[in-house]
Amino acid sequence: MSDRIAKYYPLIPVYSVYLALFLIGKNVPGMWQLIAMLAFYSAIGQAFNIFLGMTGYVDFGYVAFMGVGTYGMALSISHLYHVEWLGVWVVLIGFLLAAVMSTILSILVGAVALRLRGAYFAIATIGVNEGFRYLIEGARIWGGSEGIIFYGQLAQAVGRKTASILSTFWADIFVFVIAGVAAFITLFYMKGKIGYALTALREDEDAAKVMGIHVTKYKIIAFITSASLAGLIGASAWGLKVTNVFPPEVFEIHYTIECIIIVLLGGAGTLLGPVVGGLIYGLSKYWLTVIIPGFQLLIFAPIILIVIIAFPEGVIGVLARRYRGTPLGKFIA
Amino acid sequence: MAINEVYLEIDAGERIGIVGPNGSGKTTLFNLISGVFFPEQGSIYFEGKDITRMPPYKRAPMGIGRTFQIPRPFGSATVRENVAVGAMFGTLGSQVGVREALEIADRYVELVGLQEHRNKPAGGLTPIEKKLTEVARSLAMHPKLLLMDEAMAGMHPKDIDNMVDFLKRIAEQESISIVAMVEHIMRAVVGLVQRVVVLHQGSKLVDAPTRDALKDPRVVEVYLGHPPEEHAC
Repeated sequence: MSDRIAKYYPLIPVYSVYLALFLIGKNVPGMWQLIAMLAFYSAIGQAFNIFLGMTGYVDFGYVAFMGVGTYGMALSISHLYHVEWLGVWVVLIGFLLAAVMSTILSILVGAVALRLRGAYFAIATIGVNEGFRYLIEGARIWGGSEGIIFYGQLAQAVGRKTASILSTFWADIFVFVIAGVAAFITLFYMKGKIGYALTALREDEDAAKVMGIHVTKYKIIAFITSASLAGLIGASAWGLKVTNVFPPEVFEIHYTIECIIIVLLGGAGTLLGPVVGGLIYGLSKYWLTVIIPGFQLLIFAPIILIVIIAFPEGVIGVLARRYRGTPLGKFIA
Repeated sequence: MAINEVYLEIDAGERIGIVGPNGSGKTTLFNLISGVFFPEQGSIYFEGKDITRMPPYKRAPMGIGRTFQIPRPFGSATVRENVAVGAMFGTLGSQVGVREALEIADRYVELVGLQEHRNKPAGGLTPIEKKLTEVARSLAMHPKLLLMDEAMAGMHPKDIDNMVDFLKRIAEQESISIVAMVEHIMRAVVGLVQRVVVLHQGSKLVDAPTRDALKDPRVVEVYLGHPPEEHAC
């Protein structure tokens, strides 16, 4: 019995970080935007980690799932705002649509691209992201390159005051919630058969197959999970918060790169890693922008290079190894 | 190296040695049985079922286990976790949860004598320990047929004897058929297997009980080339 509870100990530091962030943001004036950004980076790190960290496959088109999720929220609000009895539930439908759309896209992409390995997979996924963006723009789907601007409709659906609170406060809270859910799913996978299967296929895919592991099935499970969480984050942090969506902004490959950096900094395949990675990345990006605006990337690139060469396992990867078997080790995963 | 018209029947609980020089098709044979490749012609039956084109992940739960010549443990996972993977996805697969799999793993880790290393990542082990991890992992699958690729290469003769005794005992207890691929360690062949199949350039050259096979002049020729007197050098 105590084993069953001990299994969830590693969630304690994760949730403590999120709680601390929330309390700081809520109580220190002027901090909320920074806190929201940190939560966003930790959340996308966690969502991406379920695929990148656990399978070892790099998906450069990852941001497409966030983009599609953003569209899910935009479409829900811009199409259903006049259905009066829906009220605030239009936001819930937005989240559902975001999850469904990103799941469908991940199944389509996964069924084809996950048959490829290594660099081939990575390249194929870049194509998906760019292709999807140009499909929306070229075929003029969902407003084409003019995008969807839906603050007015949101206000009409839920009232001006609620709309303002939704986009300035609740959108960020939802990111916290999604991050918390992502952490729980990550741990659930890590401790379950699926985690063992994913570790095996990450380390040696052919040996894993011969051991009886249906590698494609497990890769697709991780891929869909990761993609649907990304869709939800997009729906909240880019949809509900920004209340407009333009293809070049949400299919921007830059965000995928940030996800990869966050996961690698913190420790790929670990639970706490992407949270810590998100904090380190978000904070240093913020401070570098303040101290030397315009040069932050120039400074940041070599720092990341050094960290990744010196600690390929990431911050938490190193800590988890050092404290394995000690009482503290129970909390680090 | 391709193999050509090799007919091979393995009885339940039988231990066979596959012998042959480099490039004789031993690894190809293993890859065909475990499903890494599919044959262009011919068929493979396991317990009366045609598995010729069955993907490998379905063969393992039926009872076909395998170890690799160069051990391939899952490096970042601990020894115990590696062995648990075998229990989780082998023949017991659907009935075994993570907790039971780890218990099974502990048993096999102890059987191969790695209990001190059980919480170490397998990637940091010595080659021999990696090999033992792999043996434990494949045994934890509770296979009916175990394909062992050079399981004892690089081992000390005394360790080979121990390994042979261990494999014989466990194969008899759990009625596992073993097909051991052996390149040069005759000590292992003689001790472990009841029958020897000699492959040469992809074809079956000899298939006979161990003692007879090792005395067969064709086997001597395959291994040593022509008798020494013809090579006056």
